[in-house]
Amino acid sequence: MSDASGRPSAQGGARAPRMHRRLGRSLAGVAWTSPWLVGGTAFILLPMALSLYFSLTDFSLLEPPMWIGGENYRRLWSDPRFWLSVKNTLLFAAVFIPLATALSLLLAVALSGRLRVAKFVQACVFIPTLVPMVATAVVFSWLFNAKYGLVNQLLGAVGVAERHWPNWLSGSMTLPWKVGPEEQASLPLAVPALVFLSLWSIGQQVVVYIAAVNEVPTELHEAARLDGMGPVGRFFRVTLPMISPVVLFNVIVLTINTLQVFAQPYILFRTKDGQNDDGLFYTMYLYDNAFVYQKMGYASAMAWIQLLVVLILTGMMWWVSRRFVHYRAA
Amino acid sequence: MSKAADISRRAVLGAMGAAAAGFVAFGPRGAGDERAKGRTVVDYWEKWTGHEGRAMQQAVDEFNSGQREVFVRYFVTGNIGQKALIAIAGGTPPDLIGLWNFNVPAYAQSGAILRLDDLAAAEGMRLDQYRRGVQEVMTVGRGSERKWYGVVNTAGTLGMFYNKRQFREAGLDPERPPRTIEELEAAHARLTKRDGQGGIVQTGFLHGEPGWWSWLWGYHFGAGIYDEEADRATIDRPEHAAAYAWLQRTVRGFGRNDKEAADALQLFRDGFGNYNTPQNAFLAGKVAMELQGPWLANMVEEFAPDLDYGVAPMPCAAAAYDAANPVALVDTDVLCIPRGAKNPQAAMKFIAFTQRQEITERLALAHCKICPLLKASEGFIKAHRNRGLAVHNALADSARAFVVPKTRAWPEIKDDFDARVRDMMKLELGVEDALTGLQRRSQASIDLRRAERLRRYGA
Repeated sequence: MSDASGRPSAQGGARAPRMHRRLGRSLAGVAWTSPWLVGGTAFILLPMALSLYFSLTDFSLLEPPMWIGGENYRRLWSDPRFWLSVKNTLLFAAVFIPLATALSLLLAVALSGRLRVAKFVQACVFIPTLVPMVATAVVFSWLFNAKYGLVNQLLGAVGVAERHWPNWLSGSMTLPWKVGPEEQASLPLAVPALVFLSLWSIGQQVVVYIAAVNEVPTELHEAARLDGMGPVGRFFRVTLPMISPVVLFNVIVLTINTLQVFAQPYILFRTKDGQNDDGLFYTMYLYDNAFVYQKMGYASAMAWIQLLVVLILTGMMWWVSRRFVHYRAA
Repeated sequence: MSKAADISRRAVLGAMGAAAAGFVAFGPRGAGDERAKGRTVVDYWEKWTGHEGRAMQQAVDEFNSGQREVFVRYFVTGNIGQKALIAIAGGTPPDLIGLWNFNVPAYAQSGAILRLDDLAAAEGMRLDQYRRGVQEVMTVGRGSERKWYGVVNTAGTLGMFYNKRQFREAGLDPERPPRTIEELEAAHARLTKRDGQGGIVQTGFLHGEPGWWSWLWGYHFGAGIYDEEADRATIDRPEHAAAYAWLQRTVRGFGRNDKEAADALQLFRDGFGNYNTPQNAFLAGKVAMELQGPWLANMVEEFAPDLDYGVAPMPCAAAAYDAANPVALVDTDVLCIPRGAKNPQAAMKFIAFTQRQEITERLALAHCKICPLLKASEGFIKAHRNRGLAVHNALADSARAFVVPKTRAWPEIKDDFDARVRDMMKLELGVEDALTGLQRRSQASIDLRRAERLRRYGA
């Protein structure tokens, strides 16, 4: 703003430097965050956009992509190995996520006291998460070895005859009921073996839950105790509601990680004999398509379906959480 | 916050600038080599490590010191198939890659590796310098469409290794190994031993050991799995049903019922150590006869020097037996020049060097493999540590030597085969169901690849 002589008015003169300062601050902010903006664009947004495009093309990596519309998605629909990997992954998620959450909460409540031994046990629970998952999987592949593995040796020690030892990584367990006139029901052991291995590394969640449990105001527990509530009641009526935002966060993260499980089953179930189909998980099949079968377009379609499933599940959890998650007022 | 704890923008920028200057001054440098100055540099990726890698490194050093035009930089690269794929796709490949033989058809069809016909001719190389089975690996296409895409630097053929001591103990003639599947089954029965509780302690033969070639048993009954000319899977031929019936018969022999037999076998196999160790099932005496390549002789020397072994062609079904033309898979390592290589002529010069008789033979000796060239020298034959060299050579020259099916669908077909044979070995899947499904899915994969090719290239 200026007066008749063209000089800036007093009001305008004060505003211009303020605007300059504001603009300067904004530019500085953009400059300081630019590594993340550039990185996010180059390594997340652009690859995502490209993979969406590739999912609509015939793309082998070695030849330029060729537009085929929705054919990759249509072919997925009739691909039995795709559905097998979906089934195995969902089964694993359905068993592992509730089990891991329940066990983590149980350990967190048990270890949240101020006993010195609790600190030691906390450390013991957390240490396995520091071991690279590949190393853990290799160790477990030996623990599950049918002949010399510690798990079966323990079964032998309690009197189970060697011929009854389960083949954890490739076998199945016969169940006592029939599923047909001749066929006995059986349970593939791949998923239980992977669940067992994955439970080994729940230390990170336990630590988060311990921190949350310790944050629950003691007066709430005292009030509940005065009302005659026992430890189980206090857990369900006081502790769990109070830490429910943390539970929600952990369950979402766990769901995302579980649906992407790769390294552990790759080591456990992909042997020199080939792939154990009970241990074929979604990301393994996606990887095969991308880098072994040279079907990058098809793999990209799988990746987008995986992303959509994760988004839908996360959205559903948020929606359901409105009823079960309690946020404390500031 | 106290004044002392504040970090000024200037200080941060200064620190970042200092770090950048430090990186420029002391950071990593290109792998410069004084010897490469003024010469054309060829980057060569190879998968070998250990003594195999050292043998190739020696050839590279010899080449580099023997002339002043080209300098080869040798890089040992794990998981080479995938890295080559990404490097070629990204437009930054090396000049030379040591691929697996099964990579060649897919890479060739997609134009990811260069045709060598002219480049090789310029170096005075000819296809007919190589053994019959080896030529098959180096080329793609049939008749006048046959084109040269790779050069085999080491080659092997699969034969049956057998333990002569165990043969003698079982009352079998160690100088007269089985020739037919029927004889093999009889020998297997005599060589299989159990402990007091019925557990397996030794078997005659196991299809799943080492477990790398689940798909080839039908070849030993007279049928291949892929007809290249018709571009058709041939897993539905009755020879395959006979082959996998034999596989299941062998497994069923380990127990009173299917579950017991499959579990007993799995338990026994879980007791095997890793392949390249003294606990290898054959070296440790747990399996008396095994389908293997000539490289096993290297492992015998390293881990079980006292093992008295013999090598024979893998037996065939009686109806398919032909002593003059044994059946064997030719398994090789192949040198290829990728699309986008900066110095293909210089890379070819190095390839030609590795194909000199003395260099090829030295490499083959280090790998304990056969010489891929048509003629091997007397010195090579004398110095070779594999007792079965003559057998492996004969297999490579046989009219029935075969190579991995040359179709882009092969990786999927192989994975499917591995999984279904695994199910058949567990006796959870019948032969007919398994082969019907394999035929259907394999043909679908082949058809899909053909459709993709037609859409892209129109031919």
